[in-house]
Amino acid sequence: MTVLRSTVLGARLIRLRDDEHWLGRLMLAPAIAYIALLIGFPFFLALYYSVSDITVGGRTMSYVGLRNFLAIVQNPTFIMALKNTLTFAFVSQILVLILANVLAQALMKDFRGKWVVRFLILLPWVAPISLGSIGWLWMFDSIYSVINWTLQAVGILDHNTRIMWLGKPALAMASVITVHVWRLLPLATVILIAGLSSVPQDIHDAAAVDGAGFWRHHFQITIPLVAPIMTVAVLFGFVFAFTDMIVIYVLTRGGPYNSTQVLASLAFFTGIDGGDLAEGAAISLFLFPLLVAAAFAFLHLARRVEVT
Amino acid sequence: MGQKKNKPVSRRDFIKTAGTAALAVGVGAHIIVPGRASAQQKTLKILQWNHFVPGYDKWFHNTYIKEWGEKNNTKVIVDNIGLAGLNSRAAAEVSAQKGHDLFLFLWPAPVYEDQVIDHREIYEECERKYGKAIDLAIRSTYNPKTKKYYGFSDSYVPDPINYRKDLWDDVGMFPDTWDDIRVGGGKIKKKHGIPVGIGLASEIDTNMALRAIMYSFGSSVHDAESKPVLKSENTLEAIKFVKALHKEAMTDEVFTWDASSNNRFMLSGKGSLALNAISITRTGENKKIPVTDNIWLAKAAKGPVRRIGLEHVMDVYVIWKFAENIEGAKQFLIDYVGNFRSGFLASEFYNFPCFPKTVPDFKTLISKDSKAKPPDKYKVLEDVLDWATNVGYPGYANAAIDEVFSTWVISTMFAQAAAGKMTPKDALNQADKEVRRIFKKWRDRGKI
Repeated sequence: MTVLRSTVLGARLIRLRDDEHWLGRLMLAPAIAYIALLIGFPFFLALYYSVSDITVGGRTMSYVGLRNFLAIVQNPTFIMALKNTLTFAFVSQILVLILANVLAQALMKDFRGKWVVRFLILLPWVAPISLGSIGWLWMFDSIYSVINWTLQAVGILDHNTRIMWLGKPALAMASVITVHVWRLLPLATVILIAGLSSVPQDIHDAAAVDGAGFWRHHFQITIPLVAPIMTVAVLFGFVFAFTDMIVIYVLTRGGPYNSTQVLASLAFFTGIDGGDLAEGAAISLFLFPLLVAAAFAFLHLARRVEVT
Repeated sequence: MGQKKNKPVSRRDFIKTAGTAALAVGVGAHIIVPGRASAQQKTLKILQWNHFVPGYDKWFHNTYIKEWGEKNNTKVIVDNIGLAGLNSRAAAEVSAQKGHDLFLFLWPAPVYEDQVIDHREIYEECERKYGKAIDLAIRSTYNPKTKKYYGFSDSYVPDPINYRKDLWDDVGMFPDTWDDIRVGGGKIKKKHGIPVGIGLASEIDTNMALRAIMYSFGSSVHDAESKPVLKSENTLEAIKFVKALHKEAMTDEVFTWDASSNNRFMLSGKGSLALNAISITRTGENKKIPVTDNIWLAKAAKGPVRRIGLEHVMDVYVIWKFAENIEGAKQFLIDYVGNFRSGFLASEFYNFPCFPKTVPDFKTLISKDSKAKPPDKYKVLEDVLDWATNVGYPGYANAAIDEVFSTWVISTMFAQAAAGKMTPKDALNQADKEVRRIFKKWRDRGKI
């Protein structure tokens, strides 16, 4: 009887193993569970918080409708943070896109020490961002800035002049964008290298035979061919720029006078430090519809331009 | 008498006997000997910051908690984290309803009032044993609306003026009033190129220094009845003063500062004056930085209305309602206050007692310090309670004051005006609007 049962069970397992329909679902299950538990649940909780009056020290909450959203749009700091977020995201992504293209092109060529260069470029991505940002904080320090020291040493600045990298709104924004670009560049470069590697060599050869120059070759052949994968890089970059606050938290904490405050950092200061979890949730979710729309648009674009 | 037979022990017998013995030792200790069960070692988990003075943590970990643990049959576990991580950690513990039995904030945390026990009993016991607590402690841990003590303060850190005596002597001035600081600071900057440094950034020391200026100008965020009163002529005058101070005596680096910038500023020899705890001089003494002997301390500066400053750090311990060892945590705090003299010495006078009688020789100790040059450098702090106040002055700290503090409303107001981005009046109007919005929100929630 036992032998018969185990034989039947074994046969069922073999059938399940060979059934692609069920096997696929089974193998996807851990990823779906992960997303549901660690991303979906907090997200829906944040949605619920944003229409409530919960505080960081409270366990009870009441439904308040859109009151938190109406309150934040009347707050000048929020409006400033919204503008800063858009500036931060768009400028950093344009820079990342240009620099990643240059780097990817360079790293496609063969040269001595290529692996060292690749390793160095990847370093900002693999190092903890908080540590990297602290390094940059010292480079931008008002007294001990190595950048100022270098500029003084080469005679560009006189010895009594110190540039306050994080003390002027425009310089502070430029500084946080620089660090953000430094951090995201490796990912975008690796993605673009993958895209460039997938372009068949005969297409490049044909372009060369037809006499296409570098710019024409690049803009009319290479870019259209890697556009789908480049769209993915841009999408990643935008999501990071809109949702991350580590660089700003470490370097400026939103200063000087909120000129580098972004929605993610404002949400943290309001929700966690300030204790108003509901308003913090509303601030952090404010751009969610826009981000979802942008993600759909990017993915749709990526599919349309895909070369088959 | 029959002879006892030497019966060989079977494997079954051995297991039975060993099992019974183990049961008797393990379970029996709880059932058969109840006294033994109650004497089982307890655990007390404490979370606090990495103290600015490493010697304090050394004393706390290696001496104090060991001795206290042995006396109270308790295993004490202390976790230290950076100052910047305290709020996030507290939020995480509350969200999980699990964490430490004692949690140390470095500022009043009224927002967690619903999550903590009423600490009244601890104050009462400490006052019975060690005398009255200072007003500053009560104003930083008591909610007059709900009549609840939402924390317990064992100590506070003074926030005196740190100034370069050589430079101030050189221009023939002393930083006694805020106007002296503007005029003298301006002269030093002009003559030596060394500025004053009062932060205008989104950081805690800025928050303290700018409130000190406001209070000394007769301005405040709210009044004694927790009504927002930021918009006043006094605040406007304070903003205009800071704008002038920035223009005449400071540089733009104050917009870039973090909590440790004023330490670096003074110890690098590139600053003539800053407001800070005694961390500047203590670091200088411990690291033997030459400029330290020229950095002297002064009382809070006098403004047009009064001489007043803030505490620099307010130790506020809380016991969560969900703590597993509430009684142990209460006892720990009561005993800790009783031993505060050792803590005061271990912190190298950084932490001052909230129960002054626990350090009876306080004035003698601070008037003769072995590291300071001159040895009475810290004597100026002996009447600190006459000029130090709490963040919510002239009222109590509350949830709205906490949010105004944590979202940098006041530092942004001053910075916008000082940088010329807004007129003083516009900066004040904007901040006032935000303060009123925050107060209304917390009033609607019944917290003020």
